[in-house]
Amino acid sequence: MSARPIPGIDGKAATDLPVLKPFDPQGRAAHDPYMLTRMVARLNAWHVLTLFAVIALWPAVAHAQSNYTYGEAFAALWKWIPFVVQQGFLFNILISFFAMAIGTAAGAILGLMQISPSAFVRYPAAFITQLFRNSPWLVLLFIVLLAFPFEIEIFGFIIPIPAWMKAVFGLSLPIMANIAEVVRGAVQSVPSGQWEASQSLGFSRRQTLWEIILPQCFKRMIPPWMNWYAILTMATPLCSLLGVEEIVTLSRQAIEAEDNHPELLVPFFGFALLIFFAYCYPIARWTIALERRFAVKL
Amino acid sequence: MGMKRVKRALKNTVAATVAFAFAASSTAALAAECSNDTWNKVMERGKIVVGVKADYKPWGFRSENGDLVGMEIDMAKKVAEIMGVELELVAVQSSNRMQFLEQGKTDMFIATMSDRPDRREIVGIIQPNYYTSGTNVLAPKALGISSWEDLRGKPVCGKQGAFYNKIVTERYGAEVVAFTGNAEAKQALRDRKCIAWVYDDSSIGSDLASGNWDDFEMPLNSEDDNPWGLAVPLAEKNCIFGNFMSGVVFNMLQSGELIELEKKWGIQPTAFLADKKDKYGDWLANQ
Amino acid sequence: MLEGFAEFFRVLADDHPRWNFIFFHDPVQWARIVRGLYYTLVLSVACVFFSVVIGVVGAWAQGSPNRLLRGLVQGYIQFFRNTPPLVQLYFFFFALGQFTPTYSPDGWLQEPIISNVGWAIISLSFFAGAFNVEIFRAGIEAVPESTKEAASSLGFTRLQTYTEIVLPLAFRVSLPALNNNLVNLVKTTTQAFAIAVPELLYQSVSIWNDYPSAQYPTMLLLFVVYIVLVGILVIGMHRWERSMKIPGYGAAA
Repeated sequence: MSARPIPGIDGKAATDLPVLKPFDPQGRAAHDPYMLTRMVARLNAWHVLTLFAVIALWPAVAHAQSNYTYGEAFAALWKWIPFVVQQGFLFNILISFFAMAIGTAAGAILGLMQISPSAFVRYPAAFITQLFRNSPWLVLLFIVLLAFPFEIEIFGFIIPIPAWMKAVFGLSLPIMANIAEVVRGAVQSVPSGQWEASQSLGFSRRQTLWEIILPQCFKRMIPPWMNWYAILTMATPLCSLLGVEEIVTLSRQAIEAEDNHPELLVPFFGFALLIFFAYCYPIARWTIALERRFAVKL
Repeated sequence: MGMKRVKRALKNTVAATVAFAFAASSTAALAAECSNDTWNKVMERGKIVVGVKADYKPWGFRSENGDLVGMEIDMAKKVAEIMGVELELVAVQSSNRMQFLEQGKTDMFIATMSDRPDRREIVGIIQPNYYTSGTNVLAPKALGISSWEDLRGKPVCGKQGAFYNKIVTERYGAEVVAFTGNAEAKQALRDRKCIAWVYDDSSIGSDLASGNWDDFEMPLNSEDDNPWGLAVPLAEKNCIFGNFMSGVVFNMLQSGELIELEKKWGIQPTAFLADKKDKYGDWLANQ
Repeated sequence: MLEGFAEFFRVLADDHPRWNFIFFHDPVQWARIVRGLYYTLVLSVACVFFSVVIGVVGAWAQGSPNRLLRGLVQGYIQFFRNTPPLVQLYFFFFALGQFTPTYSPDGWLQEPIISNVGWAIISLSFFAGAFNVEIFRAGIEAVPESTKEAASSLGFTRLQTYTEIVLPLAFRVSLPALNNNLVNLVKTTTQAFAIAVPELLYQSVSIWNDYPSAQYPTMLLLFVVYIVLVGILVIGMHRWERSMKIPGYGAAA
């Protein structure tokens, strides 16, 4: 990488003075888990307005000579907004809520399994975690949506599973794996001295985990947890590729119903961009606030 | 007197028992082959779930308040009306309609599907077929495409899940670029990312009639004219559901109801429906 | 041997109509899978390369004294990080795609100055690049002012200091985060499916649309290939990370 040897890196350091600032005791400081959130939270109204202006003015520039004016395209968008939002975007939110709930519950269990003293529990849990962390979300969605049944029968009761609910399962798998890593990371971030101290006070392993370690971790897990929620929300449009009815699917159907004028694409997808932004922005601000509040000094 | 009544009652009871036993055994024999699961489920809950298109104007598309409307939706309404059940419509795509039916998300579908041999292995496609379309292309007039061979080696936009993508690729060497939705594919054509849009001639015909594609034409002879079939679960094709649907389709063809629907939705009249009406015509009607 | 292999799957398909591993006994389908894999690799390699370049240049621009330049970089990061990558792909391909210069081999077709593969590479590189800028910036900020001052006192120019002193150090600091992001990028290439880039997911979906009986086997293949592909990447990245580690920094082990 470097043209000439750097003391302390390519060879033995000639001095004890640090070449770098001590960036992180865990070696992970450069990887900022809240990067996304922080960037969103840094935005101000001015950014949003600029974005909106670009999207709004685009068609005017793009299709100046067209006989289907961008005015008509925006009129069409206006007409379809209630439908696209109520039957589309609300489902994006719904999918993200449920996927997060299921992913969190399963991920917490999986994360705790990964720190189990028993190798029989630890290794399978680690395997499952890596399996779902490393597979593309879209591939998981395809598999769950096309290969899993739409009804399950439990004790003679037939429970129908709507397509969006299957999307929930599909998306909760990678969320589960990533939350498991959050839980594992949080537990392991507590200094081992605490484990030893509680052991010396006569706490059992279970007591230590539930009464000493986890209460400290809990607050610390909230910001990364919310960060994953934002990532999940932005992944929900993927469901449109499989025909699950959400905002992109319905936008596309609305465009078809309006006779597929090319001028419609930018207003409709631009609206989708904006509504996601409008939803994620407050969450990002809140996450940063929580992170500051819960910052634990060890 | 009293004796006679007792005798008669006895006789009736025996007869009823025999009849019942016979009926029971015949249902049992039927049940071995036909579980009629879907049919019974539909009747039990009083609702039929039908898969239809939401991006295939005017066969199935969205009205402004978000309802699904179109020719095939009208057919679905008719089916529900005859069965006396409620109708629930589910929007399906070419690439997932069969999976949805197989997995029980829909009880049946009427979704512009061509009746193909490999599809008959997966779902129960109902005879008679209710419509037909061939494969054709929507291409700019400026290009002057005149034969299928003109597509060789050129990018041609298509739709994921259409059976003729394979045929056009293998037979004419076109490079099919298949999008998930019609809107994207047509947009790609307008953006000149491909030289033509290969699709059902019926759909292209109604696009051209809409007046939004004045610089485009459908220049080729349609190929692979392929009747459409609606489908029920494969296991119930030869059972109550399948036979019932065959009857419904037959009656709609015979009565000319489909021709009227075609007119209602502004689709160019096809020879297929007129032929069928002729062929299935009621022999007493003209006596 | 290979014949026997194909024969086995042909028989399996006959016996079990839902388990038609068509790509193992039909050379045409096998060719599609190989082509899909090729495009997935092309997308991955190109996107990884360009996103890293964007990250390095962007991080450098962020340290620039020019406020306008800094503002532009900031705006770029905001736009790409706060919108779903899928919608970005649509936007690039359909909205920006209308303004790119084209040449026309036949008078109508506007041939690819930028094809859909090109747009996918651009869109995904910019998406991942936005992260990389922040990742590198964090790494650069970890290099002490005094190190840079020492370099300039030795007669290095600003550019030289950046390329020869700051970047090699910052790169090592950024590596773990960078690896995370690049692995994520490779997974995100599947979304190019939306604009019909013939990568592995597209080819797989096409195969099971053409041959419904091959659906489950193709899904299985798709899943296994991605797990292996990403697995190799993760292991390789970890190795690299370890070999690039600065002694005395980071966690033990």
